[in-house]
Amino acid sequence: MSARILICDDEVSIRRVLQMWLERQGYTVIARNNGAEALAAFDANEIDMIISDMNMPQMSGRELAEAVRERGFARLPFLLLSARCDQSRLTKELEAFDVTVFSKPFMPSRIVDTVRAMLEERSVGEVR
Amino acid sequence: MGRLRRFLTAEEVPRWFGLTVVLIYLTGLAMIANMGISHARRLHARDARAASAHGLELLAFRIASIDAEQLGAASKAVVHRQLLAFADAHDAEVVRIVQGGVVVASTRPGEIGMAVADEPDNGGSASTDHRWRSEAVIPRLAGLAGSAGESRAAHLCATFSIPSSASQGFLSHAGTLSIILVFLGALFVCHRCLREQMRSASRVADRLTRHSKAIERDLDALRIGDAAGIDGVTESWNDLVELVGELQDAVRKQHADEELSSALLRAGSGSLGEAIDSLPDAMLHVGEGGAVEYANAAAARVLGCSVESLREHGLGAAGESDLGRRIAQFVSECEGAGGGFVSRSETIERGGESGDVGEAINVMLSPVRGGKRTSGCVLVMRDVSQQRRSEVARDEFITQVTHELRTPLTNIRAYAETLSSGMFDDPSTITECYNVIMKETRRLSRLIEDILNISQLEVGSIELHRDDVALRTLLEEAVRDVKNLAEEKSIEIAVVLPPKLETIQGDRDKLAVVVNNLLGNAIKYTPAGGNVVLGCQLSGSEVAITVKDNGIGIAPEDQRRVFEKFQRAADDEVQRETGTGIGLYTAREIVRRHGGEIDLISAKGEGSTFLVRLPHEPGRAGALNSTASTESGA
Repeated sequence: MSARILICDDEVSIRRVLQMWLERQGYTVIARNNGAEALAAFDANEIDMIISDMNMPQMSGRELAEAVRERGFARLPFLLLSARCDQSRLTKELEAFDVTVFSKPFMPSRIVDTVRAMLEERSVGEVR
Repeated sequence: MGRLRRFLTAEEVPRWFGLTVVLIYLTGLAMIANMGISHARRLHARDARAASAHGLELLAFRIASIDAEQLGAASKAVVHRQLLAFADAHDAEVVRIVQGGVVVASTRPGEIGMAVADEPDNGGSASTDHRWRSEAVIPRLAGLAGSAGESRAAHLCATFSIPSSASQGFLSHAGTLSIILVFLGALFVCHRCLREQMRSASRVADRLTRHSKAIERDLDALRIGDAAGIDGVTESWNDLVELVGELQDAVRKQHADEELSSALLRAGSGSLGEAIDSLPDAMLHVGEGGAVEYANAAAARVLGCSVESLREHGLGAAGESDLGRRIAQFVSECEGAGGGFVSRSETIERGGESGDVGEAINVMLSPVRGGKRTSGCVLVMRDVSQQRRSEVARDEFITQVTHELRTPLTNIRAYAETLSSGMFDDPSTITECYNVIMKETRRLSRLIEDILNISQLEVGSIELHRDDVALRTLLEEAVRDVKNLAEEKSIEIAVVLPPKLETIQGDRDKLAVVVNNLLGNAIKYTPAGGNVVLGCQLSGSEVAITVKDNGIGIAPEDQRRVFEKFQRAADDEVQRETGTGIGLYTAREIVRRHGGEIDLISAKGEGSTFLVRLPHEPGRAGALNSTASTESGA
């Protein structure tokens, strides 16, 4: 069974392009408009990885990460996309939530590579 | 002429004057020495003459006695010995006895028996001071004449001289000359030794005489430069001039300090006091132990207590307020170990709820110097809250702009890679990629336009290129630009235009920015499924464009703020949306530059209506006929 990835971004075109690339790699993608909708989808589905934008209306990427970790998914791969220029500061701020920060603009191929690497790392961790 | 001038220069005159004085002095010395020597010689001659006259009298008496006792030939030898003894004792050239004009006895034996021509005289007349004759009378002399029994008077004559009077004169002159020469030699040596010092002293004197009035104005004129040669005296003089300069500076500073002190003393009641009281900045003079010596009205306002209570209770009076406490603490931190103060500046912030900076006061402290010691400090406090808010807003703006720029860039890059990867060959996907790239390029372009507009507005270099603007075209194109945005949120845009719509005078591109920004704002803050209505009306000399939505609305307290640069409504619903806070500011500035105004009618939760009023001259431009149209999004 292919991994299920939850994508969350308020920019429809970014959701769409990520979905195209990840589905082409064989992943199952669930795409949502904001953090609140994404959290509802996370609760309703078995999700292997989350890719979320940082700045979103209603619920930000940080709040989503916090909510997911609070639900006990401490090792679930979480990729956060941010358009902020202070990436190192953001990484430090989000250290507690164990998320990988990826800055915009990005190349979809790099996202695909990172997703693959994060999922593999997780599966290795589970085998051990 | 030049030689004369050189001769008369300050260096030459003292030299020649000195030499003349020395020569006069030496001549006088020689004359005095000569007179002394002559006088001594005359005294010696007088004494010698008196002594010889007296001795001759005694000899005459003795010879008379001998003659009386020893008659005969034997007496001749005795008298001769007496004469020789006398001549020897008194340095007489010749001593002889003349009787009846014939020499009967003499220290020169050859003279005996010779006739003497000159008559003997009484007393000791002398031809010169150095050579003279003396005579004494022997009342009766018998034995020497050879004629027995006949006794007659005889004269005892002696000629004296002080030996070598000419050579003595020569020696005395030579001695005087030697003394002069030795003195001149000593003078020459002294001159050689003192020459440089005298020259320097001369230069100093020259500077003093030439620039005596410069002491008050320009001390540099008194300073002797390197070209003249620097020696000990010159260096000391230059040091002295420098010292005078330092003293003058110290005196001036003292005067200035005294004037400042008296001005501060007068400040309480004089016009200076009124001026300081009128300053927008707070000013405090804090003395020893936190005592407030002076406080202006702004200080009382900032610290929240009266000027009288500050003067009475010192900084402690301000201690009740949070700011007063922190300022008192700041002052004590600036107080050094020795009691003086150290200059320091700090911005103290207080209040500041979420999303607001609150109050920011910049406090500058500098010590007050009275003479060598400090006497308290001066505090100047400035309210920099607005400046601080602008800085924070600017930082937020930069963050937002970065975010806003990166979002379209992300889309362009991602869809460009999708196209170039060759992995997606489905025609509908390829079309979608092109559409997104086109759309995001337009978005990016608009954003850059906004940033450019605001930077032009900032520096005041924005220019309007006025032309005929067809209102209908302008408004319809604006709706087309935001159509995709509205479709994404399922917002319907209704365009309500009168059948007859004239062209107006204005900058087409800038007016398009205004309508675009207002429409974009309406879509952004209207929930999905809402409505936006764009309308336009002509009434007399005014064109009114309205953009009405049924969105989240704007609270009354935020209605002014939304038009300020980099500012957005302090509302959670607004803050959730990304935005730079420049859209409405830019729109209003452009409208104002067209001579118009933007009004806002809104209430929280009841949507907003922005009304753009632009001046219009009917009939100036041609009218365009059209019908009302409605465009709706998905």
